[in-house]
Amino acid sequence: MPHDPYKALYLHLPFCVRRCGYCDFATEAVPADDARIDAYVEDLALQVRRKAKEGELAAVETVYIGGGTPSHVGMPRLSMLLYTLSLSMRLEPDVECAMEANPESLTGNMVRDIWALGVNRLSIGVQSLDDAVLRTLGRAHSADDARRAVAAARERFDNVSVDLMCGIPGQSAESFEATVREAVALGASHVSVYPLTIEPHTPFHRAVMRGQMPEPDDDVEAAHMEIAARVLAEAGFSRYEVASYALPGQECRHNIAYWTGAPYLGLGRSAATMTQNDKRRMRVQDGRVTDDLDARQMAAEDLMLGMRMTRGVSEAQVERAAALLPEAPAALARLEAQGLVAHEGGRFRPTERGWLCGNELYGALFDLAP
Amino acid sequence: MTDPKHIRNFSIIAHIDHGKSTLSDRVLEMTGTVASRDMKEQLLDSMDIERERGITIKSQAVRVDYTADDGQTYQFNLIDTPGHVDFTYEVSRSLAACEGAVLVVDATQGVEAQTVANAMLAMNADLEIVPLINKIDLPAADPERVRAEIEDGLALPADDAVLASGKTGEGVHDLLEAVVYGIPAPKGDADAPLRALIFDSYFDAYRGVVAFIRVIDGSVKKGDRIRMMATGAETGVEEVGARRPAEVALPELSVGEVGYLVTGLKEVSQVKTGDTITLAEGGVADPLPGYREVKPMVYTGLFPIDGDQYEPLKEALEKLSLNDPALIWEPEKSHALGFGFRVGFLGLLHMEVIKERLEREFGLDLLATAPSVEYHVHKQGGEMVSLHSPQEMPDAGEIERIEEPYLKAKILIPPDYVGAVMELTTARRGTFVTMNYLSQTTVEMLWEIPLSELIMDYFDKLKSNTKGYASLDYEFDGYKESKLVKLDILLSGKPVDALSFIVHKDKAYDRGRVLADKLKEIIPRQMFEVPIQAAIGGRVLARETVKAKRKDVLAKCYGGDISRKRKLLEKQKAGKKRMKAIGNVEVPQEAFMAILKVDE
Repeated sequence: MPHDPYKALYLHLPFCVRRCGYCDFATEAVPADDARIDAYVEDLALQVRRKAKEGELAAVETVYIGGGTPSHVGMPRLSMLLYTLSLSMRLEPDVECAMEANPESLTGNMVRDIWALGVNRLSIGVQSLDDAVLRTLGRAHSADDARRAVAAARERFDNVSVDLMCGIPGQSAESFEATVREAVALGASHVSVYPLTIEPHTPFHRAVMRGQMPEPDDDVEAAHMEIAARVLAEAGFSRYEVASYALPGQECRHNIAYWTGAPYLGLGRSAATMTQNDKRRMRVQDGRVTDDLDARQMAAEDLMLGMRMTRGVSEAQVERAAALLPEAPAALARLEAQGLVAHEGGRFRPTERGWLCGNELYGALFDLAP
Repeated sequence: MTDPKHIRNFSIIAHIDHGKSTLSDRVLEMTGTVASRDMKEQLLDSMDIERERGITIKSQAVRVDYTADDGQTYQFNLIDTPGHVDFTYEVSRSLAACEGAVLVVDATQGVEAQTVANAMLAMNADLEIVPLINKIDLPAADPERVRAEIEDGLALPADDAVLASGKTGEGVHDLLEAVVYGIPAPKGDADAPLRALIFDSYFDAYRGVVAFIRVIDGSVKKGDRIRMMATGAETGVEEVGARRPAEVALPELSVGEVGYLVTGLKEVSQVKTGDTITLAEGGVADPLPGYREVKPMVYTGLFPIDGDQYEPLKEALEKLSLNDPALIWEPEKSHALGFGFRVGFLGLLHMEVIKERLEREFGLDLLATAPSVEYHVHKQGGEMVSLHSPQEMPDAGEIERIEEPYLKAKILIPPDYVGAVMELTTARRGTFVTMNYLSQTTVEMLWEIPLSELIMDYFDKLKSNTKGYASLDYEFDGYKESKLVKLDILLSGKPVDALSFIVHKDKAYDRGRVLADKLKEIIPRQMFEVPIQAAIGGRVLARETVKAKRKDVLAKCYGGDISRKRKLLEKQKAGKKRMKAIGNVEVPQEAFMAILKVDE
């Protein structure tokens, strides 16, 4: 179908040194010297070239290299991929180019090389700075490894993001708060905080089922999320999305694209592509259509995704949506009455409670055009 | 006509799971009525639910021809009776169509409550009983012990009991011979005016009501003008015949024979089980004995979860009623649940089966309120009101006294469990009547117990307190005065009529407290705090609180996660559909049944 130009490009590297107990992402544990990684990265580079030739990368404003663990594939392969990228699209400083890395494989040399090849935002999977918690999670690194990695990243990058997890069995409020404080002290300019979710088919799920691990407690997780909000606000971070905090100007533009209905191209195993025009929105993953939405569903989804972000949605956007979804204003009014949404300054935005009880909030908007 | 000397009408009776249906199937197979390649497991149980649950709800009659060892060919009419205590009356009518019964006893389980109950019914109906010990192929089979139990417990000679296995077919030939020699041929006057017993009926969309009948006197053929003596309905006979098991039309049904009769009538209520058919003109004056009106024992509210399904529910009930005269219903309105129906059933099994059929065959999503019994409320001034639902309870000031239905319950247990049954049944307000040792291993206890107590998981409790050994049988005993009160449940301060129930005054506090606690577990956390209160009149007995939800799933939402999120929200929506919004509280279906699962 004729479609709007892609604004964001995602490249997936599905390899890790080992799998963590909670992980259900598309990744597998493969040794760094395995030839399968070579074949995969070469194929990914070819796809980037092909898409460039087809003109699909011309309007791309953000690139995100995620995984798995991109740093696990090592510098030679990353060089090839980044070099291909820089020849395939405009990769100047105004284009956000983010890459994920894990402490066990991010080195000083890698930091300097990827920076030189155009990466300008580094997101580090720290999860916790408490060794006991890291052991519970089954991470491949220690707290000290994480500290060294963030320090190394700071040598070149202004925009260093740290991913943290909360609500982990055995993780106290004190441990979590200390981690958040130290992440700030280490110089992170962006922090993402996710509560532990027990996903099916993971070792954690099996442990919970067998009664060997307690189920995460919603109240504890809510308390941890509130700790993060408080500590990071004190440190000058603003919470621009339910789980994302940034110093001014350091928000992740790539992720914002996901939440604002911008079309994105995903390359690599299980990477999702969203293609749309003004009548239809499709998501495709591994050649399979996972969503096929009409204009009404698109409008409802945009309201829903907008509610992940602090700024929410504008009155003008609600008015446009209401042309397709006459129920939308009434639904927002109900959500406001429930204390999930605040209507102020010409915008509808989620309240703290709306964020924590996001399923309730998103569910109501999703129901406008299921 | 077939000479009655060559007719044998019999039934196979058994405790549930003792292998009656499998044995019946084997008889059909061994007499060549059904080729074994056409055998569907338990052919006679025709409804899915019957097959799945291994129970029989409707009676069936199948005719088979058997050439016996004496060279003569006999017409066997095998009448399969319902196998549950809910359907005792239907069983008695089916038995009245027979001269004999094969009493099946499991070689590993021995005599159980319904074995005794069914044997008693058969003896009361003056049937000749042929004992059969089944499942002798099982390693744990102990035919000698079971033989002794039959002799001691049922006072039946069991020396000649047939030893058989429905599974392997062993002993089935012996059974067929025992039927020829052990069960008498029907007697009756071939020249007298028609008298035929209706022992079941069903509605056929094309032919109207079809009755299963046993001709006692005279004969009936197509074109005869007949009358049902109790209902007064008259009609012309459209067809008569027998099931083999497919229907085969016959010129007539003559004295002693069993078969089907197509009435062409449009309502099952005109063709009632137990009624007598005679000729419209020149018929008899006296009906056959034993007819009675079927009355429901328990009542429940059935409400569509989606209000749009009220009309479809009504139509579905109408359709099921066509085939089930015991199903009685009237519209009911609940503040909490909206419009639905108060439905009367013969018992809990009947209720479960109907609810399941409504959901499965008619695609309805239903919410059932806790079953209640029919209370008799005597008001000041002498008026008596029959109460089918707690909501109809008059104000306490208007009530002089309330009566509730009692049952005579018969419990069979090994002697070791007498204490456990004593404790449980006394706690359920049962009154001990007497106790007999049927054998060294079986004690029969007789109780009077309020029906309302029995329908609260009593049977499950009885089973678990006796390691599964107990068996239970009961019959209606009459109404007795009780100190009963209506207990209300309030959610967020508002009474929820569909959750209120009637309870004995002395138990109100405990039941209220436990139920509030149970509801706290069942009702999911909502966006706000939900207080749960149990109260009588204005007096609150118990209070629990469902805390407000602080957080729900908060997962990553990048790229492909958005599709996952949509799926999750869809699932959440489907989950909510299965709940009922009462005010602004989402209440899961099981909340309405929680009172039945209250542990003491």
